[in-house]
Amino acid sequence: MRVLRQGISPPVVVLRALLLVLPCSALALALPEVPDGLVVTAVVLSTAGWAWFPDHAVGVAPLALVAGWWAVHGVVDWRLLVVGVLLVAAHVAATLLSYGPATLAVDPRLARLWVGRGLLALVPLPVTWLAVRALDPALAPSWLWLLTGATVVGLLLVTARLTRPETR
Amino acid sequence: MTSWQPTPALVRACLLGIGGVGFGIVLGQEVLAVLCAPFVVLAAVGLAGRPRGRPEVTARLDHRRLHEGQGTTSRLEVDDLAGVEHVTRVAARAAHVASQPTYGAVGSLVTGGLPTIGFSPRRWGRRAVGAESVALTSQWAGWRWGPVHLPETSLVVQPMTAPYDSRAEVPQPDGLVGRHRSRRVGSGTEFEGIRLFATGDRLKRINWPVSLRTGELHVVTTRAEQDAGVWLVVDALRDIGVSGGIDGHASTLDLTVRAAAALAEHHVRTGDRVGLLVVAANGARVRLGSGPRHLQRLLGTLARIRTDARSVPPERLDLGTESGSVVHVLSPMLSTPLVTAAASLQRGGTSLVVVDTIGDALTTDDDANRLALPTLAMRMQKVERDDRLRRLAALGAPVVAWHGPGTLDTVLQQLARRAQVPRVRA
Repeated sequence: MRVLRQGISPPVVVLRALLLVLPCSALALALPEVPDGLVVTAVVLSTAGWAWFPDHAVGVAPLALVAGWWAVHGVVDWRLLVVGVLLVAAHVAATLLSYGPATLAVDPRLARLWVGRGLLALVPLPVTWLAVRALDPALAPSWLWLLTGATVVGLLLVTARLTRPETR
Repeated sequence: MTSWQPTPALVRACLLGIGGVGFGIVLGQEVLAVLCAPFVVLAAVGLAGRPRGRPEVTARLDHRRLHEGQGTTSRLEVDDLAGVEHVTRVAARAAHVASQPTYGAVGSLVTGGLPTIGFSPRRWGRRAVGAESVALTSQWAGWRWGPVHLPETSLVVQPMTAPYDSRAEVPQPDGLVGRHRSRRVGSGTEFEGIRLFATGDRLKRINWPVSLRTGELHVVTTRAEQDAGVWLVVDALRDIGVSGGIDGHASTLDLTVRAAAALAEHHVRTGDRVGLLVVAANGARVRLGSGPRHLQRLLGTLARIRTDARSVPPERLDLGTESGSVVHVLSPMLSTPLVTAAASLQRGGTSLVVVDTIGDALTTDDDANRLALPTLAMRMQKVERDDRLRRLAALGAPVVAWHGPGTLDTVLQQLARRAQVPRVRA
């Protein structure tokens, strides 16, 4: 009996399976504390949708839900680093799958390139984690928060400008 | 209109990176900032890698005319690759065309060269290939151009010339030059006999051993060499059976067209003049001719054959044949009017050979229900067809099943012998 759909290569199936498993695993790291049933359902469903359509905006949902859950619970131990790695890995897997239809074989050179990029993107993770653990936000001067807020607004405006479609 | 659009991956990175880190800091959710920090990198480099060009994408095939089973490559041309990192091509499926990669989707980094797609038509005819979608992706998968839809192009697929060779001569060669032995004495190379020297004979034809032995000059005589007119009548009224291309089952029309191609190539190669008459709704007729260019014309005409339910069998086959031409009727012989037309040709004194191209289209499985309606209909067809062929054979028209090399040898030799017998007309 044929397990795979016609034309889909095993690496593509593996990447889709990773896409399904990684965000769920990031949430499962909270065990033995069990997340709310609604959150679990939303993460599983959105992750399944993402695995089915890797090149779809629905991919934001599981990542935001998992990151939001950990943020709300304020856990800053070693598990945060693992969760960060899992979320980036899921993003990289989805990006690799988004280059073409399901029948497009995964290019090993492209996969190697994205593994390197994923590792590069992970560099800020331990830095910010250490900063959060070592620095006391109460000691920061008030202008720092104003500057941060202005920077964020500026970045959002720049992003909106850059992503605006060209009109010719 | 196509333009560079942000990919879902970039949108995801921007929302999580800038939004997550920003709101994490502003709202005091430092964990959110930590988790979203890697996405800031992905978003920043993705945004920065926006290409400014407006690339024009075209594709071209290496060949526009192929034989069944041969292959060609579709190559992509992009005029401006600045900022482009990856190219993806997805070719549409086309009937009776195999592609490499199998499902038509291929992608590669620009540094490794633009991806190519191989096409191999598996059946003769006109094949539409090359319809595809092309997408260009910028660095860090930030921006995408397309998918751009490219139109299909037509590929003329000539029938594979089935292996065919014949050592038999055409019964009544009638031309001036060629490789067939004439009944007349002439200046060929085929030995005819030795006779006494006569005024006007060439000195180089003197046979010295015989002349010395007999004491009188003798010369060697040879037969002239002539070409022949060969007409191929192709029955394209119906196509019985399912065609699996060159790798699978052959339908009756597959067998007919491939046999015609093989015969045409053989006769043109031996220097004969070959004509073609296609009996179909869009029938075609190619006059007698010879040479490689004429062979291409014949194969091109065969490649354009299409069956049509509206096809009406002809009352008579009007070939305008010269005396001495040989007519090969290639047909599964399922149409009574065509059989009648062939019989009329035979009665008119034309050397006619019927090449039966039914193949195994009317054979039934052993385990098929013999009383089922399709089986009964098939058996009735078979009985009627056998009867037609029997009556045609009774008129003196040989009927041979097509089986490749040497199919017509015996028949043509018999026809050649018959042609040499003096005829008495009533």
